[in-house]
Amino acid sequence: MISDTPVNHFRLKAYQVELHPMAQTHQVLMRSWRNQDEIRQQMLSQECISEEQQQSWFKRTQYDPKQLHWVIEFRDTPIGATNVKSLETGKTVQQSAVLEPGLYIGDARYQGNIVAFAPTLAMYDFCFEQLGTQLFRAVVKHTNDKAMAYNRKLGYQLTESGELSVLELNYERYQQYTAPIKQFLSRPRKAK
Amino acid sequence: MDNLQTLKQAFTTALGIDAAAVTDELTYNTIPEWDSTAHMILVAELENVFDVMLDTDDIIDMSSVAQAKLILQKYHVSFG
Repeated sequence: MISDTPVNHFRLKAYQVELHPMAQTHQVLMRSWRNQDEIRQQMLSQECISEEQQQSWFKRTQYDPKQLHWVIEFRDTPIGATNVKSLETGKTVQQSAVLEPGLYIGDARYQGNIVAFAPTLAMYDFCFEQLGTQLFRAVVKHTNDKAMAYNRKLGYQLTESGELSVLELNYERYQQYTAPIKQFLSRPRKAK
Repeated sequence: MDNLQTLKQAFTTALGIDAAAVTDELTYNTIPEWDSTAHMILVAELENVFDVMLDTDDIIDMSSVAQAKLILQKYHVSFG
């Protein structure tokens, strides 16, 4: 299942951030983030990736309708990347009821900051409300305390524990758990 | 109670920490008590005690006690 044209044409703007479909121009920055020690160590594949591997990954994912990738911009500056992948065999992201999310904040100033929730909220709103997603299923290393805590604040519940923990989130719990943080991130910005 | 004491009390209440820990150097996400959830509780507490409403940029930028003082000064809260 491969598309003839790039699959992600969804530009999202909410909660003070913009999500731009990942493009060729982002790849140098993406690779530098991906190869940071603190990000690499939390990924399932921990090796540093080469420029060629980055290019190969981008060319493959750009046309794969089973995944959508965005670069996160905050205050007109790229700060990280986020994505969703279909977890149903033979179904695109738009067709799949269950999606797996991915996120990393490459800019250290915003790691652990409240703004790190903004891209997730923008993407989950889009998936639940526009694409008809029923469930998010996250897979996290059980040692990744920050990701576990982050997901719990979104309303995720642990469904499998082991070296890799599996957590799931439906729309009802998502709405319930994220209402306060959405309220803080939705306030108007004053002109500077 | 002056504004500095009120600020310290707000941090103590919102984060559940000792008043002695509330120094200018205390920074968001460097202690378990000041995580993103506590940050929202802290913002609500500061807004309540100083009768202000912070905008989103200020909520995001309030990364330390020192920074909180600077931000609150923009809302006409003086710390002497």
